[in-house]
Amino acid sequence: MGAVLAVLLVIYAWAVTNAPTDAVQGVIQKILYVHPPLAYGAYLGFVVTAIGGSLYLWRGREEYDRLAIAGAEVGVIFCTLMLVTGPIWAKGTWGRWWSWDPRLTLTLLIWFVYLAYILLRSFSEGGERTARFAAVYGLVGVLLIPLNYYVIDLFEARSIHPENLERGSLGEGMGWPFVVGNVTLFVAFLYLVLRRWEIENLRARWARTTDDGESLGEEGR
Amino acid sequence: MSAAVSARGLVKRFGALTALRGIDLDVERGGALAVLGRNGAGKSTLLRVLSGLARPSAGEVSIEGLPQRGGAARRVLGFVGHATMLYAELTARENLVFTGRLLGVDDPGERADHLLEEDGLTEVAHRRVGGLSRGTCQRVAIARALVHDPQVVLLDEPFTGLDRRSADRLGARLGRLRTEGRTLVLVTHEIPQVPQLAESAVVLEAGRIVHSASAPDLDPRALEHWVLGEGERAS
Amino acid sequence: MSIVWAILRKDLVTEWRRRDRVAAMLVFSLLVVVVFHFALPNRATDQAPAGAPGLLWLAYVFAALLGLNRAFALELENDALSALALAPGDRGWVFLGKAASSFALIGVVQAVTAAAFALVFEIDLIAAAPRLAGVVALGTLGICSVGTLFSAMAIRTRFREVLLPILLLPALFPILAGAVRGTAAALAGTPIPFEAIQLLIVVDGIYLIVSFLGFEYVLDE
Repeated sequence: MGAVLAVLLVIYAWAVTNAPTDAVQGVIQKILYVHPPLAYGAYLGFVVTAIGGSLYLWRGREEYDRLAIAGAEVGVIFCTLMLVTGPIWAKGTWGRWWSWDPRLTLTLLIWFVYLAYILLRSFSEGGERTARFAAVYGLVGVLLIPLNYYVIDLFEARSIHPENLERGSLGEGMGWPFVVGNVTLFVAFLYLVLRRWEIENLRARWARTTDDGESLGEEGR
Repeated sequence: MSAAVSARGLVKRFGALTALRGIDLDVERGGALAVLGRNGAGKSTLLRVLSGLARPSAGEVSIEGLPQRGGAARRVLGFVGHATMLYAELTARENLVFTGRLLGVDDPGERADHLLEEDGLTEVAHRRVGGLSRGTCQRVAIARALVHDPQVVLLDEPFTGLDRRSADRLGARLGRLRTEGRTLVLVTHEIPQVPQLAESAVVLEAGRIVHSASAPDLDPRALEHWVLGEGERAS
Repeated sequence: MSIVWAILRKDLVTEWRRRDRVAAMLVFSLLVVVVFHFALPNRATDQAPAGAPGLLWLAYVFAALLGLNRAFALELENDALSALALAPGDRGWVFLGKAASSFALIGVVQAVTAAAFALVFEIDLIAAAPRLAGVVALGTLGICSVGTLFSAMAIRTRFREVLLPILLLPALFPILAGAVRGTAAALAGTPIPFEAIQLLIVVDGIYLIVSFLGFEYVLDE
């Protein structure tokens, strides 16, 4: 999978470089090939976390909890990149860094939930209780995505984001680099989640083999 | 199933720490088991897993044939922990009545009065627990654990911090619980008292049972050796 | 159900004897109202500031955070929380009991705060009261439900007082969105927009269900 990703990244870089420069926006428009595809990772990260968490609560196997960690950590990276690339593009095209645009607001809220999730994990003692807390929080977090979407839909102003990029809305020669971008970043997300999961599994196995059984604590608070 | 408390393959991990490493035990109905071991051996963890307060990482617990998983066993189980589990602002009686309501006792007020009278606590019934002595608090805590008339009572180091007189009184109280036919599991460091308190004992070390004995072979000196980790040589 | 009543009654009696939780919340939220006055200097003194509903809810949220943090600190004093965890049946009932007592205590604080707020900012509270009470009750129900769930988790971590706001605030966005709009209408003496009520009811319902079910996993060690 790593090799596939490497090949994709090369094609991706080549495609973006060779895509035609936008007549109106100029070079800044090339963020198109990065910014929207990041959304997969940003949103799917939480779905992975919620799935991992629910499986953990249901089956009690620690691997699932580690999958949840992987989803959250990779998700927060994608989400952060989205929040960084968005304003750069916005400054270039709409003329200001930040607008309380619905999708922007939604992403920002998700980002905060991710951060809260990671802080919750790092502030607790580790182990099964932390895993249960995180699973419960992850589930609330994933519910917040549609809930916030609903709120924004109900009250907030219309989006200035381009509506769904239906076929034909992209300029000549921009379509296929965009598709490559989507595929590449999606694969990158999967790859990172799987590797992160693997690392966490190895770490847990290492911790178990080095536990010599002498330093046992009795307090279970 | 005749065992009142039964545990199979209990493992409990706290992160990288493993506090219990595969515990099997059975306590017969009406029996009393003393759980011994050094600090950090896993005694309290074992008791909290048996009570259902801590989830085992692996293994099963059943109390009076009811599985601990899902909470059905909590109804027949009384627990006396390290802490009193009482509210300092409530009186002794209010604490008992509250617990009775929590546990679905039919007439909590009457039950509370009965227990307070039985334990000679009537004169402190209407005093706030926050102002009571450690010994008295411990007696109220035990009454609290008995509000729902549980068949099985788990006690975690109930003698800690009690003076001689309170300890004797507690010993007598535990004896009464046994004559009432209840099953006891108690964690204790008072090894010399074990033969009076229990008819079987297990010694834990690093999360495993390293020794178990039952009456009439409950020799405090042998148990002491096992607790100190000198069991092999002594036996 | 008897568990809910028992816990509610116990918490109210305990609070009546200590009075520290309500007192702390009250002093705090009144201070927040006074701080608003200084934070909004050049306004016309004879009318409510434009952001009045939002300011009122800020005071409510801060006070609720304080109260919710204390809700379980109280149970940890003699490890009484273990006694609650040992109650037979579904632990969701324990959750409802704790949430109900927080709801009641926070409600008292909210009423007094609203009165002070109305005096300071010259709002006709008598006319607004019935509608305002309805909106505030709906909003607070949601805050108390996830708040109780998260507070039971935060209390078992390091930096417990810090963690609760981080966990809770991202989840309050949908509630605040509805509550602030509803409150604005109530203070202006106009009917409350249907969307606000609808949103609050939906969110309350989801949060209550999730917290009821999730509580099973947060009390165990």
